[in-house]
Amino acid sequence: MTAHSFSLPKANGAAGVLSGPLPVQVSDVTFRYAGSQALALENVSLSVLPRERLGILGPNGGGKSTLLKVMLGLLPAPVGSTVRLFGESPLAARRSGKVGYVPQRSEAESSFPLSVRQVITLAASWRLAPWQRPGAELRARIDSLIELVGVREVADRPIGALSGGQMQRTLIARALAPQPRLLVLDEPTVGIDAVGQAQFAELLTSVHRTLDLTVLIVSHDLRAIAAGCDRVACLSRRLHSHTSPQGLTPQVLAELFSHDVAGLIGREQLGGMHVHAHGPDECCPAPAETLRSSDDRGEGRGGAQVP
Amino acid sequence: MKLLEYFTSADAFSLILAPLLAGLCVAVLCAVLSVLVVLKRLAFVGQGVSHSAFGGIGLAAVASVLAIIVAGPGSTLATVLGQGAAGEFAIIVGFCIAAALGMSAVGQGGGRAGSDSAARGGVRVDTGIGLFLVGSMAAGALLMQYAGALARSRGLSEPARSWESILFGSLVTANMADVQITAIVMVCSLLTLWLCRRPVLFYAFDETSAPVFGVPVRAVRTLMMVLLAVATVTAMKVCGVVLATALLVVPGAIALKLSRRVWSVMALSVVCAVASVLAGLGLSIELDAQTGPCIVLVLCAGFALCTLANWVRGLGYTSAARLAASSNGGRGLGT
Repeated sequence: MTAHSFSLPKANGAAGVLSGPLPVQVSDVTFRYAGSQALALENVSLSVLPRERLGILGPNGGGKSTLLKVMLGLLPAPVGSTVRLFGESPLAARRSGKVGYVPQRSEAESSFPLSVRQVITLAASWRLAPWQRPGAELRARIDSLIELVGVREVADRPIGALSGGQMQRTLIARALAPQPRLLVLDEPTVGIDAVGQAQFAELLTSVHRTLDLTVLIVSHDLRAIAAGCDRVACLSRRLHSHTSPQGLTPQVLAELFSHDVAGLIGREQLGGMHVHAHGPDECCPAPAETLRSSDDRGEGRGGAQVP
Repeated sequence: MKLLEYFTSADAFSLILAPLLAGLCVAVLCAVLSVLVVLKRLAFVGQGVSHSAFGGIGLAAVASVLAIIVAGPGSTLATVLGQGAAGEFAIIVGFCIAAALGMSAVGQGGGRAGSDSAARGGVRVDTGIGLFLVGSMAAGALLMQYAGALARSRGLSEPARSWESILFGSLVTANMADVQITAIVMVCSLLTLWLCRRPVLFYAFDETSAPVFGVPVRAVRTLMMVLLAVATVTAMKVCGVVLATALLVVPGAIALKLSRRVWSVMALSVVCAVASVLAGLGLSIELDAQTGPCIVLVLCAGFALCTLANWVRGLGYTSAARLAASSNGGRGLGT
């Protein structure tokens, strides 16, 4: 499989139909950390359409976090590359509140003495002048977000008292509070149980439908990607593949995850299968099963069709 | 009781008025910051900054002797840079701010312990703090020795600061000039913190995500380091280099055991710090002991009491749960 860029379907002229700049446009990113010999990213190009839901799937150490940081301007864009969010530099897009971000749950201080409502409000109110209090419009928006993500019952509880799923919903509401146009989720299903993951998929679909956002999910977990994405980009240093979730063949997954696949889907589920040598006619039951389970929940994203 | 004598005699009361006011100003400032220090796990940074003050004290001692040599004893410059004057305070604060920012920069370059960047050859945060801590202490010791030698060679009296007061503080010797400095520092620091409360809270809650939301994290981090350095140097007057961190850690730790509401935590932290300074000062007068250690021991006792109370309360919950389980015929908790 050769590396290639992941861009707009130019043949049908989609770019011409869409007005305004693309939510995400990344071209020719090759990144190496200082002091490291190995490339973290190699010649990665990626575009995301307005209102699209794109999943970036890849193994641990495959460069997902690096790409995310470059994309958001948290790492400097390498010389010769282009990184634009809504036609602006990532810094300008972040400063103008166009980007909402849901971190891995473990990165926020779960013991912090803030209530759910305070956490969500803070994301929208931190730009206010110190002497200004959140106005009625802002408070109404926060209330509707609390309602949308389903944390009304716990809205005034300290965040330390929340379950993993409730905390994730709170962080999603926080990301939406500044009214972003792009929602970025980093490993959203880490530490969430099966029920929470099903609810997450439902919530993401509901948020996407209600707020008409562009959504970008970065994960090593197939379930997170399959449950809520229109397209999938597979990243392991290079961008290996791009497809709809239905097009994630066992061959693609086996090549993408190589040694990581056993850890990803569980050795017991692998059942002794050799993941390196999948041909197009072989099946990889665990990912297919995983994807099918999301389909059974009525997410409408389809399962991985075993060739 | 010795303490009563201070409150029944106006002359005696005037003796403890300045220490009392200076101690209360320091307590309020440190208490508010301590909540952030505990939540952001900056206790070791505080320790590093307070020990870095050794370097600042050494530098101030050399500057003081040089001022006397250059401008003459009794000159304005020598007075401003003299022991306990605003110039000395500014030099120590400046040195500590530089050290704090250095520690922060090293931490940014090296990442957290075990992080990727640390694995890539950077210096870890704790290693960086340790380096600044010992480097500043060593520089401070040599500079103080140099200041003494310089003064002797010119026939001047040596800088009279005792090691004991540096290490454990000398609150009872505080005068109204100290009160003015601590009051100004407290008001300016708290005002700054109030003006920046929202970005600071966002940064403290989730430093990773804050920059994506547009929060100027580098500026907020620098502000935190500056405030921490200023508060530490101010707290040194009360508790000394060794114990200054206590006021920047323990009140917040106690308050976080008592509440999970951020403004209640801040208020409780202030109450704890003020109470400990009052109790510690009273204790030191009664026992004729050093004030700094008394305050720190009162704080530690408060923390131990809170821990014990939480533990007993936890036992109560466990017993109630067991009782419910047994009355439920061992069928669990009625879920």
